[in-house]
Amino acid sequence: MSSEIKHHELAKHIINYGMSLGANQIEAYVVFGSVRSVQIERGSIRRFTDKSNSGLGIRVIKDKSIGMASTTIFTSDSVEKTVKDAYSLAKVSPPDENFRSLPNDTRQTKTISDKFDGNIAEMPVEDFTEILLEATQEASIRDDAAIRGNFNVGYGERVIINSLGTERASNQTSISGFLDVKLQDGDDVGNSYYYDAATTLKNFDHIKIGKIAGERAKMMLGSKKITTSTLPILLDPESTYGTIAPILANGINAFSVFNKTAFFVDKIGDKIASDKLSVIDDPFYPGGTDSASFDDEGVIPQKLSLVKEGILQTYITDSYTAPLVNLENTGHASRGSFAARPSPAPYTLQISSGKTSKDAMLEDMKEGILLISSSLNPIGRNPQISAQINQGFLVKDGEIIHPIKNAVIGSTVFDVCEKINDVSIETENRSGHIAPWIELLPLQVSGGK
Amino acid sequence: MLDRLEQVINKVTLNPKDFLDIRYSYSMGESFTFRNDRFDSVSNQTIGGIAIRALIDNAWGFTSIVETDKESILNAAKKVIRIAKIGSKYTDQERKISDKWVFEGKGSTKVKIDPRDIDKETKFEKVMRIEKAARKYSDRIVEASSMYQESHNNEIIVNNLGTKVENETHVIRLMKNIVGREGTKMQNVFDSIGGSGGWELIEKWIPEDEGMKAAVQAEKLLSARKPPSGKMNVIMDPSLTGVYIHEALGHSVEADNIIAKTSILEGKINEKIGNSQLNVYDDPTIPSLRGTYEYDSEGTKTKKRTIIENGILKGYFHTLETATALDMEPKGSGRAMNFNVTPQARMGNTYIDSGDMKLEEIVEIAKDGVYLKDSYSGYVVAAKGQFYFNCQYGYFIEKGEITDMMGNVGMSGLTLEVLKNTFAIGDKWEPEFRGSCGKMGQWIPISGGGPNLGVSDVVVGGNM
Repeated sequence: MSSEIKHHELAKHIINYGMSLGANQIEAYVVFGSVRSVQIERGSIRRFTDKSNSGLGIRVIKDKSIGMASTTIFTSDSVEKTVKDAYSLAKVSPPDENFRSLPNDTRQTKTISDKFDGNIAEMPVEDFTEILLEATQEASIRDDAAIRGNFNVGYGERVIINSLGTERASNQTSISGFLDVKLQDGDDVGNSYYYDAATTLKNFDHIKIGKIAGERAKMMLGSKKITTSTLPILLDPESTYGTIAPILANGINAFSVFNKTAFFVDKIGDKIASDKLSVIDDPFYPGGTDSASFDDEGVIPQKLSLVKEGILQTYITDSYTAPLVNLENTGHASRGSFAARPSPAPYTLQISSGKTSKDAMLEDMKEGILLISSSLNPIGRNPQISAQINQGFLVKDGEIIHPIKNAVIGSTVFDVCEKINDVSIETENRSGHIAPWIELLPLQVSGGK
Repeated sequence: MLDRLEQVINKVTLNPKDFLDIRYSYSMGESFTFRNDRFDSVSNQTIGGIAIRALIDNAWGFTSIVETDKESILNAAKKVIRIAKIGSKYTDQERKISDKWVFEGKGSTKVKIDPRDIDKETKFEKVMRIEKAARKYSDRIVEASSMYQESHNNEIIVNNLGTKVENETHVIRLMKNIVGREGTKMQNVFDSIGGSGGWELIEKWIPEDEGMKAAVQAEKLLSARKPPSGKMNVIMDPSLTGVYIHEALGHSVEADNIIAKTSILEGKINEKIGNSQLNVYDDPTIPSLRGTYEYDSEGTKTKKRTIIENGILKGYFHTLETATALDMEPKGSGRAMNFNVTPQARMGNTYIDSGDMKLEEIVEIAKDGVYLKDSYSGYVVAAKGQFYFNCQYGYFIEKGEITDMMGNVGMSGLTLEVLKNTFAIGDKWEPEFRGSCGKMGQWIPISGGGPNLGVSDVVVGGNM
């Protein structure tokens, strides 16, 4: 019996047992996986890890009251106790009048290519170690470089079954690597890193991880403080994605929209950003690390245009929130873990390219800041942005002058979206997460000089 | 279970320099979130299993399993030894665990009222009353939520050097998060109570008062002044002092960062890194705080740690491995989030010691700057010694007086500069920072605090 079938049967048992207790509706969410990782420290192997990564979450509905329970222990006693716990909590919880129903999606799912690679699932630890050592060699830009990081390979299955007839199962492999490099000349420290992930070995470039981490650490030597002023900001594709994705994750989440804490409440059809910004969410991108043929409630998602030339097109929803915002279920239910209740979240954002080359954008910058691998993140769920510059450079007359230390960019989500002034022709595609270079009109920069 | 783990240890074949430990970890939790007049989630969580580590010829192997029978644990132990041996072929760094540090005993959080004995309705009522008081206060309160969490953890740790430890921790927390909104202006007020212990730690919160207090604050903040930008004098309240010292110093003295050569404070023991009045310690033995525990996840008994004494760096946070490498005493800083991860060098309850100045005196010395209150979050890049943290709100200091309120703002500093820039230390010590600290994917409960603290030349930057 394959493990996928075994976990499907486990989920079916949970449904049957929960219904026999008296549940009106019940859902079982089972994840089963294994992770092998190699840790490197000071350029040398430190630890091998080989572990399972599994758990199950149960959601029970009884008279519009919802109870949830989860466990990592898959014995019959433990599973049945977990079902009973969820049922008991549902019985004593006050009803949630906003709850309509768990979803019932029995449509045929699409197959997404390149989500599973047998080479990863069966890769011997020695081969995996060689990959890491090759990457580390690339990162050893100097003999005294302090290199640390982790490479991981994983296999995971996801099974979702509910009492209304939804039955889904999928599997996926993953390979990821992170290297951090520190160079030191006296008190001068150059420190940087690079991370990448893929679902197949053929799409994983371990040499690039080492090369970029090493080169960036060298670039970060000689950092200096700057004075407080307002300066335009050039974001590299990682920074563009790292800034726009969290803004949209909150801004168009139907749960937050309903609670009026989303940045873009009642804004469908309105301008929320410069007309240079267009964003698509593609759940089906081949080989995307976050692509999925069904969401965390088993619903087939939609490929959506989220923002078109600065105009907000829609919100993302799940079964609970769709009726609350009068939209259809877009299939964006996401759980941070098997224990969590689902909430809408984007899959794989693709931010459209522009018409200017990235080199021209840099060359045309009279004085400004270039950010790499950064994000102008809101503080918690507030729209205020106050972001320290960790990987940034002062630019003058189109030239990178020096890395910056001890400085903070202050802005707001709305300001950043409005101030997108230019977008590059070039984009970077990281497992389906696609972003260009973006130039923002001047923002407030507090410096330590 | 302890006997079973010992039996497995005795069955595996190890060389005299090898190290192997087995940790049973079982955690049960219950949490509720009540938001805008409805329960968002009512759930309980069970996370349990066995963690096994081996250090063989300078390389570690680690695995975790959810089965707890002897045969499964033995097989996992053999697997760990096998993968550690593979790793040893690829390493040229010396790693070992000293046999000096062997512990036996039982530890447990003191609990007066076990929250598992409190009925669900009483717990529900607590969060519902907080939320209702806040939501009803004003139309500008767009979201009121209150959260309840309790967790009960049991760890049993056995190693081949002779350590045999059983430790229980019980953590409880009641939180509120209130969002005020007017158009695109939004302000968030978050606060929590609780610590290591039982229901007695949250009983004293009067729900209506707490809900109302946060709502009043959130509404006031909607008309607060825009925070300033630039380098300036900052006075921190005890909550912010807690997150400041956690980020500015704490992570940089976690000894796994030190031996990995990724901390700015590597090699600086007995060097002066702060103002002479600055004393910093971490004490996981203080009763009832969030970072309180008797034994760590390696079985080491906890002790108070002196980090800075009169401005001089005195200690690091150690695991058994880092204590051995640096020939220092481990004092129980090896903490793991659950059975599925390995212990790391972590903080517990980290504090700046109090001085003798009243807040009014500190404000007078500062003359101009900002008085910032209530921590929100922070992080540090330990390799560069560059840290960031932010507050929920604050006040302007103008001509030696506290004046207008301002909204949330972030701050940046360099560890080796800013610790020397302390210009005033307040006289009231409070453990006001009650948080969860994340490190490489592991989240653990911690606390921090101290007195009001005056620091010059901090970079402040925000917008509204």
